[in-house]
Amino acid sequence: MIIENIMLAFGEVLTLKTVLLMTLGVAGGLIAGAIPGFTIAMAVVLTLPFTFSMPPSQGLATMVSVLVGGLSGGLMAGILTGIPGTPSSVATTFDGFPMARNGKPGLALGLGVWSSFCGGMISAVLLVTLAPQLARVGLEFQPWDYFMLVMFALTITASLAGKNIVKGLMAGALGLLVRTVGEDEAAGMARFDFGSDMLLGGFDFIAVLIGLFAFSQLLNDVRDPEMARKSLSEASPVKARIEHRNAIREIAKRWIIVVRSAFIGTFTGILPGAGGSVANILAYDQAKKSSRHPEKFGTGIPDGVIAPESSNNAVEGGALITMMALGIPGDVTTAVMLGALLIHDVVPSPTFITEEPVLAYSIFIAFFIANFIMLFLQSGMLRVFILVTRIRMYFLAAVILGFCGMGVFALNNVASDLWTLLWFGILGFLMRHFGFPLAPMILGVVLGNIAELNLARALAINESLLPFFTRPWALFFLIIALFSAMFPWFQTARGRKKWTLFYLPVACFAACVPLAMMAWQNSSVPRGVIAVIVVTSGAYILAQRWRSGWSLEAHAGHELSES
Amino acid sequence: MSRMNRDAWLAVFLLLFTGFMFWASFEIREPDYGVLAPSVWPRVILIIFGFLATLLLVQSLRAGPGTIDEGEKDRPSSVKGYLVYWRNPIVCFGLFAAYLALLPVLGMLIDGMAFVFALLGALGGWTPRNMAIHAAVAVITVGGMWSLFTFGLNVLLPTGMLIPGL
Repeated sequence: MIIENIMLAFGEVLTLKTVLLMTLGVAGGLIAGAIPGFTIAMAVVLTLPFTFSMPPSQGLATMVSVLVGGLSGGLMAGILTGIPGTPSSVATTFDGFPMARNGKPGLALGLGVWSSFCGGMISAVLLVTLAPQLARVGLEFQPWDYFMLVMFALTITASLAGKNIVKGLMAGALGLLVRTVGEDEAAGMARFDFGSDMLLGGFDFIAVLIGLFAFSQLLNDVRDPEMARKSLSEASPVKARIEHRNAIREIAKRWIIVVRSAFIGTFTGILPGAGGSVANILAYDQAKKSSRHPEKFGTGIPDGVIAPESSNNAVEGGALITMMALGIPGDVTTAVMLGALLIHDVVPSPTFITEEPVLAYSIFIAFFIANFIMLFLQSGMLRVFILVTRIRMYFLAAVILGFCGMGVFALNNVASDLWTLLWFGILGFLMRHFGFPLAPMILGVVLGNIAELNLARALAINESLLPFFTRPWALFFLIIALFSAMFPWFQTARGRKKWTLFYLPVACFAACVPLAMMAWQNSSVPRGVIAVIVVTSGAYILAQRWRSGWSLEAHAGHELSES
Repeated sequence: MSRMNRDAWLAVFLLLFTGFMFWASFEIREPDYGVLAPSVWPRVILIIFGFLATLLLVQSLRAGPGTIDEGEKDRPSSVKGYLVYWRNPIVCFGLFAAYLALLPVLGMLIDGMAFVFALLGALGGWTPRNMAIHAAVAVITVGGMWSLFTFGLNVLLPTGMLIPGL
């Protein structure tokens, strides 16, 4: 059955039209990723209107291609100009740019391209193997568990997205509130319509996403009149040829870094809220810590390019695992893809892979193929990138704003969506200005209905609120949500306040309670083993801290540095 | 009042917003069926939102006045300074609002071209050379996108009263 589904999915993806669209998608993603200020999420959001008229598998394959292209595009700008194209390629510039300045731009680009490819492929393998397993676990979820999972996704995104957790949580709550405007799905009653037909219909959430993310970002990019009139590269054209052979040789010598970084990337991607911007720094930091010559990092060594590039391309595989297996987007880009699935009347949930196997495998296959297309296109796109760097910022902003208008109208063929775009563009701009992260709000908008529907279902089954605290999965998500909400305070106080010494052990002890409950209720040996490992880890950390005399200094100074 | 800073004012505004929305939630009709009334979920969110806004207020009052985030030190303090500082985004929003208002009259194609041309001019300057380049860019890009949506994706984009069919 699986083979049959895979073959059918290959048939869907490997049509001339789909491959052509995927190639265009990768090319577009590479260019968008290479332009600082234009995020990958924005590129994926702007691709969405084009995919409406396509069959779901074709549309999603195109969006996956933009995503893969975007992840790889950031390295070109980072290596050649020293300005990372996307936040996920920040660490690439630490060694990529010095390497290019040391006269090896071709090798630096080659290392970046091939590491991206390897990271993407490892993550694709993990996606294919882990997503169905995680979906099987997800089938155990009841409405209480699902509701708590959404709350966990919002909390962790809020805690990782900005400096101020309160603002992050407020953004998430605002996203949930925005979704309540209009008729409610369960009873069909009008909410917060204030007598307006436009509000009664609710906000189209794709228009909200484009407004919040793309519109507000563009206005931020052109805020400074001088910068708006500048192009990315005012200097003489950058000349480089990718050195494929040397790069492959260097990567083969450092395959451990590639595998480790790809795993870091994939597992960071699985965690909602932690995207490529976290993964590339984490992988760079790990490569530096495990290197025999950590002092050489930052001077232009291959390890410093391989680690971040392998990890940031692996992130989306991880984010897709969570989206496809549980219906929870791992980051903004997968939130948009989830939106694309909803437009095609496909609701991602734990049953998604079993109910829509061909579409699910099409996404897997598209992710694989897009990585190959990316590899072949990088050399050609290098020339286009050099041309793009000469375009002034305000040209791109004006043209894309014009496109936003058409794209959003095409959603439902109603002009009110364009007003939604404007209002949410203003809101997004103000939120950025006042230091509110947008990622939790976007997740709130995407997950708002899911949360409310599951709450309604849970209360329809049992009016008591007790199952939210007594069901193992619900309790598990509640505990990790609470600890992730406290994480920013822990990070700030680490090494200075005594209570931080107990944060991790207590988190382990608390998390092992629902795990032990699961093991007990389902007579599951693996979960029992996991519970024992978790509690042992907590005890070990506690013992270590006791041995060091509860010294704060021993646990300070683990922050990730960008040097 | 002396302890108020930007975030404190913002928190006060958000608390007022929460109060207004909470009051508006009493306008939601309660049906006789279903366990979860349509007003419950929005109220739960608003209670959490209000609590967080209060927390933000306390947090910002404790931080005291004059707390400025990194990157905000060059920002103006007067109204005129703000208008100059935020000129480009204000112009963009204004032009986009005008674009939407004129859409039924001009239609998507002409209105889109006019919007892109006006925005390019506002951001890049109105020299004759610039205007020629901006006009070409507006016609080519908007025309290209309009053709793609209309003929490639079969999307019916709005036509205007001024030139029927376009």
